[in-house]
Amino acid sequence: MSVRRLLCFLAVLFALPAFADAPGVYAFTGGIVHPVNAPEIANGIVIIRDGLIEAVGANVPIPADAAVIDLEGEHVYPGLIDAQTSLGFPSAAPPRRGRGAAAARQQQTPPPALPETSPAFVAMREIKLSDDDVESKRATGVTTILTAPAFGIFNGQSVVLNLGEGDTPSRVVRDPAAQQVSFNPRPAWTYPDSLMGVVAYIKQILLDAQQYSAAHAIYDRNPSGYRRPDDNASLQALGPVLRREVPVVFVADSEAMMRRAEAIAREFNLRYILSGVRQGYRFADELKTNNIPVFVSVKWPIAPTNKDDRDEQPLRLIRDRQLAPTTPAVLAKNGIAFALVSGAGKTSDFISGIRKAIDNGLSADDALRAVTIWPARILGVDRQLGSLEKGKIANVVVTDKPIFVKEAKVKRVFIDGRESKLPTEDERAKRTEATSPVEGTWNLTVKTPQGDVSIIVTLHVESGQLSGTFSGGRGSGNIRNGTFDGTTVEFAITAQTQAETSDWLFHGTLRDSTIEGTVSTTAGTFQFSGSKSR
Amino acid sequence: MKRLIAVIAFALTSVASAQNVILIRDATILTVSHGKIEHGSVLIRGTKIAAVGPNDQITAPANAQIINASGKFVLPGIVDTHSHTAIEGGVNEISLPNTGMVRIRDVINNEDIDAYRELAGGTTTALMLHGSANSIGGQCQIAKWKWARPASEWIVEDAPRTIKFALGENPKSSNFRPPPGIPLQYPATRMGVEEVIRKSFLDARDYMAKWDDYDARKKRGENPIPPRRDLLMEEIADIVRGNVDVHSHCYRADEILMLLNLSDELGFKIRELQHVLEGYKVAKDIAAHGVGGGTFIDWWGYKAEAYDAIPYNVALMERAGVLTSVNSDSDELARRLNLDAAKAMKYGGLTEEEALRLCTLNPATQLRLDKRIGSIDVGKDADLAIWNGHPFSTYSRVDTTFIEGQIYFDRQRDLQLRKDLAKEKADRLKKEADEAAKEKKEKKPEDKND
Repeated sequence: MSVRRLLCFLAVLFALPAFADAPGVYAFTGGIVHPVNAPEIANGIVIIRDGLIEAVGANVPIPADAAVIDLEGEHVYPGLIDAQTSLGFPSAAPPRRGRGAAAARQQQTPPPALPETSPAFVAMREIKLSDDDVESKRATGVTTILTAPAFGIFNGQSVVLNLGEGDTPSRVVRDPAAQQVSFNPRPAWTYPDSLMGVVAYIKQILLDAQQYSAAHAIYDRNPSGYRRPDDNASLQALGPVLRREVPVVFVADSEAMMRRAEAIAREFNLRYILSGVRQGYRFADELKTNNIPVFVSVKWPIAPTNKDDRDEQPLRLIRDRQLAPTTPAVLAKNGIAFALVSGAGKTSDFISGIRKAIDNGLSADDALRAVTIWPARILGVDRQLGSLEKGKIANVVVTDKPIFVKEAKVKRVFIDGRESKLPTEDERAKRTEATSPVEGTWNLTVKTPQGDVSIIVTLHVESGQLSGTFSGGRGSGNIRNGTFDGTTVEFAITAQTQAETSDWLFHGTLRDSTIEGTVSTTAGTFQFSGSKSR
Repeated sequence: MKRLIAVIAFALTSVASAQNVILIRDATILTVSHGKIEHGSVLIRGTKIAAVGPNDQITAPANAQIINASGKFVLPGIVDTHSHTAIEGGVNEISLPNTGMVRIRDVINNEDIDAYRELAGGTTTALMLHGSANSIGGQCQIAKWKWARPASEWIVEDAPRTIKFALGENPKSSNFRPPPGIPLQYPATRMGVEEVIRKSFLDARDYMAKWDDYDARKKRGENPIPPRRDLLMEEIADIVRGNVDVHSHCYRADEILMLLNLSDELGFKIRELQHVLEGYKVAKDIAAHGVGGGTFIDWWGYKAEAYDAIPYNVALMERAGVLTSVNSDSDELARRLNLDAAKAMKYGGLTEEEALRLCTLNPATQLRLDKRIGSIDVGKDADLAIWNGHPFSTYSRVDTTFIEGQIYFDRQRDLQLRKDLAKEKADRLKKEADEAAKEKKEKKPEDKND
């Protein structure tokens, strides 16, 4: 028995996974193998060697040098791919107040490089993945992610990473994977702070990139007699996008937002992917006709916790949140290959979100394809990933039950042929994902000349933005332009009285579970304060 | 459930067909353009009005759907030249003094229930505008409230392009301040507002010259580097070229004169002054410039510049030769512009037909769509509403609203649907409650183990 085999044997014996330095040779035997590209094999064998899959089948000879891992009754899958995350990036943009920001604001045309992100932002270079991030992700069976910051408008160049042991360069599968664009308005009084401004801004930057390419093409051919065009990393970074070499991922949840993205993509002849696609159930036929690849976020809309709030909601919203999880089933029925992604959702909600899609009519087989081979194809990495096939990267996940069954647990994970650490039960329990101190329901009182106005605001941080709802003495609706930098909270509401509608901009400071600050309105500036309700 | 939705969608938008022929019979037709026809009929064929006249002159083709409207009134669809309905993601791009690059057409929200409620008030067409936070606010959109149709179909594609300017307190941020840490916005005075507009036009001239030079060099066979295409400058240049109509928010007489002079100086045409509460003071000047005015009949005093207003403003402007309309600036008022028009008979003694035009043909003309909408004439879009009484009575209401021959609001159908929709809502909420209860039950044993 080789030393390695002995070690593996001991590891299995003590139920302690071995984390070998180099990818070795393993034979997974006795398990139910789900190759994805082929029917499941009841008592199948998977051989991996030096980080790649060597063989998959029912009657595959086991190499003499392989460490045998007997998985009787357990399930073997290719590692799952989560094609839309912001893992390794802060949940919200860093604060950008101060003199520099003020100067930038006064410019008629803001530059493509905003303080938060830019087209030249390279996720692969800036990413800071913690062990917690990586291990929690592995615990859901995900071995490969696409990631980019969620904040900003041009979020930058996303990267596809394997989540094995090792540093970022060794994890890269594809870089850049895509240029990512989100319709995120910036804080109030900073262009663009409205959705219509965001659309105009995106188009302007793409126009500038076209001009930049044209100018440099002329100048580079023969510089004599031309004024030298300026250099601009961001506009240069958009060159491959305009040439259709790199796709754009537009983060767009609603039908209206998807149509905005499509209009821009058509105008500039971009290769693009729609991500979010929560309302895809409405126009699957159109997505099919236009052959648009889609990433469907499994962060499904949820009902308000308060019964009164639920009852007051219009049917349109209730209907929409119940139909949203049917999107994957509807897409599958239309023959569309899509990816299921966590998007703005939490790592721990990924599999339960997929389960909800299955409860709403998606077959478990299609669900599996939507987190393996389909995203691999959309991202152009299907020769490396997405199935258990000879020659592909040895990302292998072992579960005790079929992976989407509620009680299923990920037992072992191999990435690039190496067994990778999973969090222990203790670690898992400890790692309840930290929530931002601003999250929750706040009872605010605004002191106006007409008396105190009570407003209840529910805030959450997601997709790099502070979002939420308000209700009370000035109507109800969604908050806008939310920002939170750790202490300063800012958001706008459309305040309604019988006489008129006006924007109220809240600017407050958070201390423990209280907020205090000012509200800027067309009728003057008022004080407000409030606390978090339990 | 899906079937129910399909039924509702069908009910709300009777499917367009080439053979759409409807005869509205025996109503009082308020044509607005050529008087009132008692016991009259309107024939709709496809999207257009095919015939209008006394009952005995209009015969129904064999395939016509006949609507008996005895005792009822037919009014052209109301046109609202100042709407903020159905705009998603912020009505103001507040960050810059000049945001002429932003477009309302990019952010139409076809699920805003206010649009449907406005249909129930007989309103069919609107000029969708941003707020008035900027001296130049951006590109407006002329749209029809085609409820339950995609936003792209709301856009009136061949309508004139429009842009909104704003003067006075709002663009100079008199009544609101940016939060701490954000510097105050230029301009801070009415002089500054004027200067923002002037500078923008001067910049646009430079911009146009740059492109002219590029085109000329290209023509000479050179290979010049193309200038930047700037969405803001493109828009201002198109105002200079006469391709974009200016609608300007204003209140005070002095700023109105300022803008008229500025339009002379810079060579642009103002199509409509919005609000224009002090228009009565300078109505002759407005009329001399061929500029229209869209105003409120009795809404004022909500800020300093809105104090010197009178309900006679409409009649005085109209009599001075200003093409005048009443408009809403409000999702609520947009449902009853007929009543604001009616008040102009009381305040200033406009005739019934003059008053009717205030919310139909006059705003249609201000939008330069009077060849298509605004009156009941053969060849125009079949945009109209059947009222159960004279639209100038507070007791009257709309029974049916048509846009381009299709029914987008029908009171009877609405009442029927309410029951179904209430049931669907109750069912859906119950389904959620049941699921939540089940989940809680499943969770409980786990909790005990913890």
